Amino acid sequence: MNEMTKPAALPAAVRSVGEYVPMVDGPEKVTGRAKYTADMLDAPALEAAIFRSPYAHAEIIDLDLSAALAVPGVRAIVTGDDCDMTYGVLPIAYTEYPMARGRTRYKGEPIAAVAADTIHAAKEAVAKIRLKAKELPAYFSAKAAKAPGAVQLLEQRPGNIERDVFFDLGEVDKGFAEADAVLEHEFHAAEVCQAQTEMHAALAEYDAQRDRLTVWCSTQVPFYVHLMLARTMKMDKAKIRVVKPFIGGGFGCRTETLQPELICAQLARKAGQRVRLVVNREETFITHRGRPESDVRMKMGMTKDGRITAVEMEQDQRGGAYSSYGVVTILYAGSMMFGIYDLQAARYVGRRVLTNTPPCGAFRGHGTVNTRFAFESMLDMLAEKLGLDPFEVRRKNLLKAPTFTLNDLMVNSYGLPECIDWVEKASRWQQKRQGLPPRADGRKRGIGFACSHYISGASKPVNWTGEPHATVNLKLDFDGSITLLTGAAEIGQGSSTILVQVAAEVLGLSMDRFRIIASDSAVTPKDNGSYSSRVTFMVGNAALQAAQNLKAVLVAAAAKKLEAKPEDIEVLGEVYRAASQDKGLTFQEVVVEALKDTGTITVKGNFNTIPESWGGKKYRGAAIGGTMGFSYAAQAVQVAVDEETGEVEVEDVWVAHDCGKALNRLTVEGQIQGSVWMGMGQAMSEETDYYHGLPVTPNFLDYRIPTIQDSPPIHTHIVESNDPYGPFGAKEAGEGSLASFIPAVANAIHHATGLRFRDTPFTPDKIFAALDKRARNAKKA
Amino acid sequence: MDALHEFDVIRPKTIAEMLAARKAHPASRLIGGGTDILVNIRRGIEKPPVLIETTAVAELHGIAANEREIVVGASAKLAALAQNAAVLKHYPAIAAAADSIAGPTHRNMGTVGGNLCLDTRCIYYNQSEWWRGANAHCLKTALGEMCHVAPKSKGVCFATYSGDLAPAFLLYGGEIDLAGPDGTRTLALADFYTGYAKQDGSTGDGRTYLAIRPGEIVLRVRAKNVPGLVSAYDKIRIRKSIEYPVAGVAVALARKGDTLADLRVAFTGTNPRPVLLDGTSALCGKPLSDAALAALDDLCRDQIMSMKTTFTPGTYRRRVATVMAKRLVKRLWGAA
Repeated sequence: MNEMTKPAALPAAVRSVGEYVPMVDGPEKVTGRAKYTADMLDAPALEAAIFRSPYAHAEIIDLDLSAALAVPGVRAIVTGDDCDMTYGVLPIAYTEYPMARGRTRYKGEPIAAVAADTIHAAKEAVAKIRLKAKELPAYFSAKAAKAPGAVQLLEQRPGNIERDVFFDLGEVDKGFAEADAVLEHEFHAAEVCQAQTEMHAALAEYDAQRDRLTVWCSTQVPFYVHLMLARTMKMDKAKIRVVKPFIGGGFGCRTETLQPELICAQLARKAGQRVRLVVNREETFITHRGRPESDVRMKMGMTKDGRITAVEMEQDQRGGAYSSYGVVTILYAGSMMFGIYDLQAARYVGRRVLTNTPPCGAFRGHGTVNTRFAFESMLDMLAEKLGLDPFEVRRKNLLKAPTFTLNDLMVNSYGLPECIDWVEKASRWQQKRQGLPPRADGRKRGIGFACSHYISGASKPVNWTGEPHATVNLKLDFDGSITLLTGAAEIGQGSSTILVQVAAEVLGLSMDRFRIIASDSAVTPKDNGSYSSRVTFMVGNAALQAAQNLKAVLVAAAAKKLEAKPEDIEVLGEVYRAASQDKGLTFQEVVVEALKDTGTITVKGNFNTIPESWGGKKYRGAAIGGTMGFSYAAQAVQVAVDEETGEVEVEDVWVAHDCGKALNRLTVEGQIQGSVWMGMGQAMSEETDYYHGLPVTPNFLDYRIPTIQDSPPIHTHIVESNDPYGPFGAKEAGEGSLASFIPAVANAIHHATGLRFRDTPFTPDKIFAALDKRARNAKKA
Repeated sequence: MDALHEFDVIRPKTIAEMLAARKAHPASRLIGGGTDILVNIRRGIEKPPVLIETTAVAELHGIAANEREIVVGASAKLAALAQNAAVLKHYPAIAAAADSIAGPTHRNMGTVGGNLCLDTRCIYYNQSEWWRGANAHCLKTALGEMCHVAPKSKGVCFATYSGDLAPAFLLYGGEIDLAGPDGTRTLALADFYTGYAKQDGSTGDGRTYLAIRPGEIVLRVRAKNVPGLVSAYDKIRIRKSIEYPVAGVAVALARKGDTLADLRVAFTGTNPRPVLLDGTSALCGKPLSDAALAALDDLCRDQIMSMKTTFTPGTYRRRVATVMAKRLVKRLWGAA
């Protein structure tokens, strides 16, 4: 066909789902124009600083503020006396005050805060606050805190147990009796902190004439901040506005309301001025809400063909001084034994223990990571004992979806088999497992494997009100622009990009036609926030429905204008037409028609979970783990171990992740790499330890996040199992690949050295000590 | 990020101006790249009222190296030292040590003088003012009386010297030129560091670890090569960048046929000062044998006294320093 006879190209819907799409907020971040909370310097504000407890556990006898108040420039000081309302995550666990009242329970707990004209005056005043206290016994380990006779940290928590969990599902003892091999081991996972780039910050403005409060802060869940501000300030929710500016990472620590925003609001009201509170890195570590130190004992039985017959787990978590997400974490740790393999008998005893350390919270892979470390290590140990290949053991225990697990978790799409197949092939497992030659520098090599999974949003939200899980508004106006309004917090994970993509895809429009406003309670619909990997699935579905609703409005308008039936309207992106011969209407013409009678159009989309996904009732707390869709991941890790120095180099990682459908391949790959990398940090070098309750490594020099020099090539592969409920089939992509790194590298170190490590992180000194011990034993023998 | 306290900055152009500024402001501190002192200031470890910025003094710059001698100005950048062709060729341990410091941006800012004078480090010291206050402070600052690393230390501070360059220069008999109110003087680099070490009766410790006098400044570091000497530097770290040495080792040796003609071994990150190992000459004059390596092992174990000043256990640092030393000796012996 020559140029002359070729018909004009048909207009077409623009596609973005399934492509590599740059983030919609990328240009601001790359050019430095993005304003984070600490950058909001356009209007003058008082600067604030926090006075923190130097005691791990003490009764507050007296707080003398006189010298601090006399510092020139000081405008307000608030203490525990200013706020007698507790806050927290679960309504049954509001155990914490913004500033300690009566008792302080960990070193670094806020006791008072100062707002002053300059940060120097604020700090000088903080230095002049005098605290008189009577020290109490302090407990820095779960074991010490739960020992008989220990002083109770919280009145309502006898024995310092925040929550204990017990379930016994299936016939566990029979399972062990029928097993050909049973092993039981103890594991220990060090506490880790999210170490997000942006330090916690808040800016608060109080309007005394109208009794209105506006707070900008670094949060993943503006909705919770809103609720907790209303509670602790004793204000009407309607008088509060919460705005989330750009956020420099969260990874779970900002899924709950933190002290900076609550204290900043108290100061703003007391001073009657705008107040900014930006805490430093050490204070960010102390604010914490990381993954708890976990002691895990696991017993597992297996038949000689590799089938798991029963699992028994006991887990103690050092939760820190207050509740935070404790109840949820200890429940996830048990329930997420399920949902990945066919497990027909499991017993769990979990204890979340209160200790005199900063409170732990939700951390990427919430509750599942340390359980998965133990579980996947045990699978390899049993495989070795029974002479089985680690891949075959996993394959032997696969689920058959759709199904419900023994603890009533709904599993629909299940791409784990494809993940496993890809990793086996891509890593050249079968060849390498026979033995890898040592490296030229003498380092011994090994390869290990493990799987993991994660939820795509908790099916039952923490604050159960009966509202939909997610609501998205789309506003279409005279100019033909569409504004997507969402409460979902963009925290760097790419949620705003995904929501725009989903809406654009439904309408067949270029993403350029959209703006997105995320997380300003005065403008955007309420959202439950960015946690438990819920946004793509839940808010994505709401955006999809909103876009469908808008499309219906536009189709109706086009039909009216073209004098056709709506069902005969063909939507070709920027062109709406009635029949193939019709040249149709431009998008702008359709908009003009649609606005004629109504003016600006705002449509809404909602999403709700289905009751089948709400988890079961077989034990108290069994709803935790319930989700609309599980993501799956498999990964192989290759290491080179220096047996003289104990150094382990991660040489290569192959990871496959079933995210249902990759709405944006660029951000899915980024999330998988980020998960692997974060898992690597926990496995290799990160650890939050305390010296008499003081964090030993509260800075980025000593808290060893891997650098790019430590980062191996990460070969990612996306598996698309097309979940029946996910938007375009999508499930979560941001967490599921984290947990499997840790057991995979432990299995790889074992392959390389014959030594089994059950204690994270696997730092050179531990490897060296184990190698040394083996050498000494060999000498003795 | 914590705001810095208020201070004045003086930017002298000549050494004379610099000395005058030091004299006028006895409580002043020097700042080169600021990669060490700014962190300490932010943590409230130091609050100097005046900072004297050293980088505008032209005389303090410059790297001159040939097969006989190396002279490096105190304000030379670490990155420049690491990349200097003559240094790489004739003093590989020095270039490697410079290249191993922190990360690229630190090396672009940090100076040789600053690294040589690096403050000793300890997990109980390199913390915020609040942290140290909540831990009854420690004796390395004026506010504390005890050493948390060794509570029975009777007033001795065990903070660890962690500069990477010092052991490399020690291999070459480094000397350091100082200028002060009473003129200039030269010290052997080994005498410049006074922190406690087992092999001598030094009265210094992690607090008083430099033989620098009030008002004095470092002008340059010099070292002399010996024909046939080959050298290398390596360090153990938990991660591969932005990390002080868990233990750092510099080795130089000369091999004549099957005879070990010269052997020099120096450590950092283990003691309150960089340690030039004593007694290595006893291993020379014969081939490098297993017995010689075992003897080296004994020397290391005897003279390295790493304590719990870092998050990584002291025993590991001592053991692995020894492993690294033997490994470098074997490598250089094999290549020589």
